[in-house]
Amino acid sequence: MPEIILKNVTKRFGKFVAVDNLNLTIPTRSFITLLGPSGCGKTTTLRMIAGLETPTEGEILIDGVTVFSSEKGINIPPNKRDVGFLFQNYALWPHMTVYQNIAFGLENLKWDKARIRERVKELLAMLKIEEFEKRYPSELSGGQQQRVAIARTLAPNPKVLFMDEPLSNLDAKLRTEMRTELKRLHIDTDSTFVYVTHDQLEAMTLSTKVCLMEKGLLQQYAAPLEMYLRPANLFVADFMGSPTMNFLKGRAEKTGENTCEVSFCGLKRTFTAAKPLGELPESVTLGVRPEFITICQDSDVKAKVYSTLPAGMETTVKLQLGGEIITSVIFGSVDFEIDSEVSLAFHGRDMLLYNGETGALMADGSL
Amino acid sequence: MRNPFSARQRARLRAFFGKPANIILVTFCIVLCVLTLYPLILLLLETITVHAGKEVRATKLAAGDFSLYSLEKIFATSKNAYSKLTFYEPLFNTLAVALTASLIAILFGGVVAWLITRTNLKYKKFISTVFVFPYIMPAWTLATFWQTFFKNVNVGAGTSNGIMASVFGIYMPEWFVYGYFPISLVLGLHYAPFAYILIGGILRNMDANLEEAATILKTPRWRVMLRITLPIVKPALLSTLLLVFASSMSAYSVPIFLGSPVRYYVLSTKMMSLINNYPGQGYIIAAVMIIFGVTILAVNQKITGSRKSYTTVTGKSSQISLVNLRRFNRPIAVCLTILMVLVAVVPLITFALESVIIKAGDYTLSNMTLDFWIGRNLNYLDQGDSTGILLSAKVLKALGFSLLLAITCSVVAGTSGVLVGYGIVKRRGSKLATAVSNLSFFPYLMPSLAFGAIYLAMSTRVPGLQGFAVLALIGSVKYLPFASRSGVNAMLQLSGEIEEAAVIVGVPWYKRMLRILFPIQKSSFLSGYLLPMVSCMRELSLFVLLVPTSNTLLTTMLMQYSEKGWAQFGNAINLLIIVVVLIVNFAVNKLTGASIDKGVGG
Amino acid sequence: MKKLISLLLALTMVFASCSLALGESVAELAKAAESMTHEELVEKAMAEEGTFTVYGNTSRIVTAAENFAALYNIPFAGSNLKDSEIYTKLETEISGGAKGADMVMIQDGASLQDIAIAGGYLINFVPASVKANIAEGDQNPLIHQFINKVFIWNNLGDNVPAITNVWQLTEPQFKGNIVFKAPDAEQVNMNFLVMLTNEEWSGKLAEAYKNLYGKDIDLGDYENAGYKWIAEFLSNCVFGNSDTTLAEEVSQETAQGKIGLFVLSKLRSSSVYTENLTVGQYQATASGTAIEPFSGFMYPMYAMLSANASRPYTAMLFIEYLMGTDGFKPWGKSIGAYSSNSEIVPLEGDLSLDVWKQTLVMEDPEYILENYEDVYSFVNMFLQ
Repeated sequence: MPEIILKNVTKRFGKFVAVDNLNLTIPTRSFITLLGPSGCGKTTTLRMIAGLETPTEGEILIDGVTVFSSEKGINIPPNKRDVGFLFQNYALWPHMTVYQNIAFGLENLKWDKARIRERVKELLAMLKIEEFEKRYPSELSGGQQQRVAIARTLAPNPKVLFMDEPLSNLDAKLRTEMRTELKRLHIDTDSTFVYVTHDQLEAMTLSTKVCLMEKGLLQQYAAPLEMYLRPANLFVADFMGSPTMNFLKGRAEKTGENTCEVSFCGLKRTFTAAKPLGELPESVTLGVRPEFITICQDSDVKAKVYSTLPAGMETTVKLQLGGEIITSVIFGSVDFEIDSEVSLAFHGRDMLLYNGETGALMADGSL
Repeated sequence: MRNPFSARQRARLRAFFGKPANIILVTFCIVLCVLTLYPLILLLLETITVHAGKEVRATKLAAGDFSLYSLEKIFATSKNAYSKLTFYEPLFNTLAVALTASLIAILFGGVVAWLITRTNLKYKKFISTVFVFPYIMPAWTLATFWQTFFKNVNVGAGTSNGIMASVFGIYMPEWFVYGYFPISLVLGLHYAPFAYILIGGILRNMDANLEEAATILKTPRWRVMLRITLPIVKPALLSTLLLVFASSMSAYSVPIFLGSPVRYYVLSTKMMSLINNYPGQGYIIAAVMIIFGVTILAVNQKITGSRKSYTTVTGKSSQISLVNLRRFNRPIAVCLTILMVLVAVVPLITFALESVIIKAGDYTLSNMTLDFWIGRNLNYLDQGDSTGILLSAKVLKALGFSLLLAITCSVVAGTSGVLVGYGIVKRRGSKLATAVSNLSFFPYLMPSLAFGAIYLAMSTRVPGLQGFAVLALIGSVKYLPFASRSGVNAMLQLSGEIEEAAVIVGVPWYKRMLRILFPIQKSSFLSGYLLPMVSCMRELSLFVLLVPTSNTLLTTMLMQYSEKGWAQFGNAINLLIIVVVLIVNFAVNKLTGASIDKGVGG
Repeated sequence: MKKLISLLLALTMVFASCSLALGESVAELAKAAESMTHEELVEKAMAEEGTFTVYGNTSRIVTAAENFAALYNIPFAGSNLKDSEIYTKLETEISGGAKGADMVMIQDGASLQDIAIAGGYLINFVPASVKANIAEGDQNPLIHQFINKVFIWNNLGDNVPAITNVWQLTEPQFKGNIVFKAPDAEQVNMNFLVMLTNEEWSGKLAEAYKNLYGKDIDLGDYENAGYKWIAEFLSNCVFGNSDTTLAEEVSQETAQGKIGLFVLSKLRSSSVYTENLTVGQYQATASGTAIEPFSGFMYPMYAMLSANASRPYTAMLFIEYLMGTDGFKPWGKSIGAYSSNSEIVPLEGDLSLDVWKQTLVMEDPEYILENYEDVYSFVNMFLQ
């Protein structure tokens, strides 16, 4: 079954390095998301695997077959890689009807007419767009176009499906709907999905594993929840989650094998790590997810309410603590009076200690 | 034999040539080098070569020797004010005419573009349709019209009166009839549609929100125009200005008609008069014109290159609130309509009229005959042909040959344009694409006559490159700039994904072109076929030296006839050419949706 | 880049060296054929194949060739080009070894001498059957006919410019009233001006000046009387682009007081009001006076074989035909063309070639070539 392996893949456009020495293994039947801000190289990576872009260096294997190798001079064209590609703008051919759009690729594979007819019908039914068969793309809504594009991509039964920000042109409601469908499709088609997005929520909810990139470099490659709870560095920590993680700059002093004293925002706390601590740098950054800061009845940490954003299910509270604004999320809708004073507590074992200079994760633990 | 390339290099090469865009670019790079750079080098060599005849006498060298004689003669001879009269004055005239013409074109074309796209002007459809006429018609149309209309016994070699003097009794002064003023005006009017198309395109695509944002801030209309609209279209204006400047600089037919009667020389007409006796000096003028052209091209590229910062093309802006012209609406519309009729329709009527009168200047019915169109046995006229042009085998054969040539050139240039456009857009930003893009624009800058002369020299050295073949080749190369421009435009409007969606399912390249890319951008691509065709039909100086003995083109026939002074036949053929060009244009437009506007890049 | 250029240069050289002179064979054939009879030429010509091609700078050569082709049933193509274009075409086609013309009819003796004959592009041939009727001096290169451009004026109104001396044309009242095809637009016009600067004509002009004004000419900065006349004449001229148009325009009712120097044969055109025109020399001859020192100029039209002729004998036969009465018919029906064949007399009402030769400025190719550059740049000053 198709397993995709990238070995030391680099892509340069002139002097600009789009992807830098990327190593990645995409297991069979997984749903992998390439995540990152725009210009991080995620789309380039996807296109290189699909064969639409030629890497400058490195090796790519799909299903044990080397499809690209700069060393051996192998470069198998995209149509021989048995992959499907769903484009951001759908790339439906405007001069062909829905039926023709889906059938065109199959005609090329020299399928016989009856079989094409059957397959197209099947896909139209699967994506619930039977009634649009004779329409032209311009006569369809965005969501319908999206479905046609998916049908066209699925038509030849590709063993790997690549998707390049396929939902970014849809409105919020449709997007949620399509996400569900995509996840369902992943199971139904029993194939490997590689998905590019800049939306961390999409990555979190859809994928089995997320590959987060920045400036062409792989930042972290892990399951969504692991990435959420144990971001490998400050960039990942910042990128994942909304509202974003609180970064509290401070100083740490080692007090025991597993403990250290951290001073931040005018507070001094003991950090107890899950594993023994190594050498500590002078400056550290404490990473605390908003949901781990709770507002409680009474504690020694006092903060002033800066602003509050109730959203119904949860409420985001911005608090002023020792000259810094920190974020807290609490369940339910609670409205606090602005400028009132509240007490805080840090709870849980998911406090993260980052190296203040390199931004790398040093330890996780509790305060 | 050992393969000189390592496996890795071979793989790279294979990967490089595995992409059709690269094959296209490399092929065109080589072909265009041979077809444009090689002629250019030949031309430069000619400037320092001693030619048989007068140059040999003057230098006492053998023909073919190298000498700086021509350079010295044309740039630095004070005896009889030779350099001043032969080079510096024509240069000054050229710059003056080109500058004025481009300003007129920009002003007129720009204002009309604004009126059409941004106001509630009446008769928009008529005005916008007829406005492009002067660009479709040969440039000499307006020039000869001007001459036949305004000439009178008081000016130039004029001993007879044109329509204005003989019918209305108004005698225009010389500066109005010949020289700087009419040349600039006629060229300006001829290129105004070009400016209209380019500026109109920008205005149409400009996000109206930009203007509306200013209107909301209580900015008066004129201030919005001055501070928002103008600055945004400024790069396009400048680029249009330069292109029109380059075109009017190398214009030949207008200054020959309107300048030579009062000995008003520009570089192109001076080159023509020099090239027979002193080819070296003629080629030097050609080289100077090319240098100007290349400089303009470079400046233009700098401007359009930095245009990126103006994101003018933001898709279709939903609602453009049109400026209400109120009580000025009708007067402006009527004035424009009258002007359009004067510029685009009256010349045709004039030609028709001039082609039926027997003796010049006498517009009475008794002096009229249709013999020049459909007469037989016209030997009594002693004007070259003995049958009217519609019955003359000679004329019909020339018409057929002209059409055949125009169609061939348009197919070759148009198809090359599509391919070049594909290659350039696919490999946008690469050195190769830039090189091909520049090379394919280069023929635009080559003065037609010099280009023709060099191709004549080339044709004698390549077996089989004679007659029709060389005409078709030079026509295709000369009009490639138009075609590749519209090819690039068409491709730019297509997102790369459209093609990649087909790549993924293994559609071979030729099929992608034929089944996907071409059908989607059909009208844009076909516009790239239309412009070469129209231009070819009306081209003269490019072909004149290359036309084979056995076949004449309509235009060479027209020139011959007007040189012999067979005015009626000449006017009739002129009208025939214009009508054919207009019919072709509108037929193609109606059938395929292709239009000159799209070709130029609206 | 440097390498590229040198490669291109090398290629050019190779191409150039491929194109060797191939005219010798035609020249030899022509030499051998000079003694052939008409019948022998016909026989040889009929044995040739392919299209017979003629270049000429008049429309009537095409008519003549069409008649000839019809007579012998030969496939034919004719080109009516400007003389300068013919020289360019000959030069490139022959040096490039391409197929071009078989026979060429052309004017401008100076260019003919220096480009076409010196370059070996055109070959002279005098048919035996007409040799005796052609003056020795007109045989090499062979002159088919002479054409004249003469002073012709509008004879309406009360200010008829009936001149008797060319110096009158330099007087102020002629300013803007003389029409002349621009000398840089037609070579023979420039040749005429060049000829005026030679010893003979500048002398005659000085004499004419004295005859008119009764005093010696004051040359000022001018080199001789020829230059002075050119300067003052051209200053009074307005320039046209076509002799036909000039003829038409001067013949208009509105053109009173105008005078032109253009081709006499243009009077044949239906669009010219011939009755409004007076030919200076006709009037002078009729009244026994003269226009001093010349009433216009005359130039020869040459008929030659092309060095790359593919039907050389057909071309020779055609030249023989042209030199005869039938071949001259397209010209013979109107005034202003004079065959070099003494058996063909000018049209009734026209003057004989000998009379014209005495009163018109004739071309001397050698003098023109030697002095062209000086006069050209001098004339240039008065063209704008």
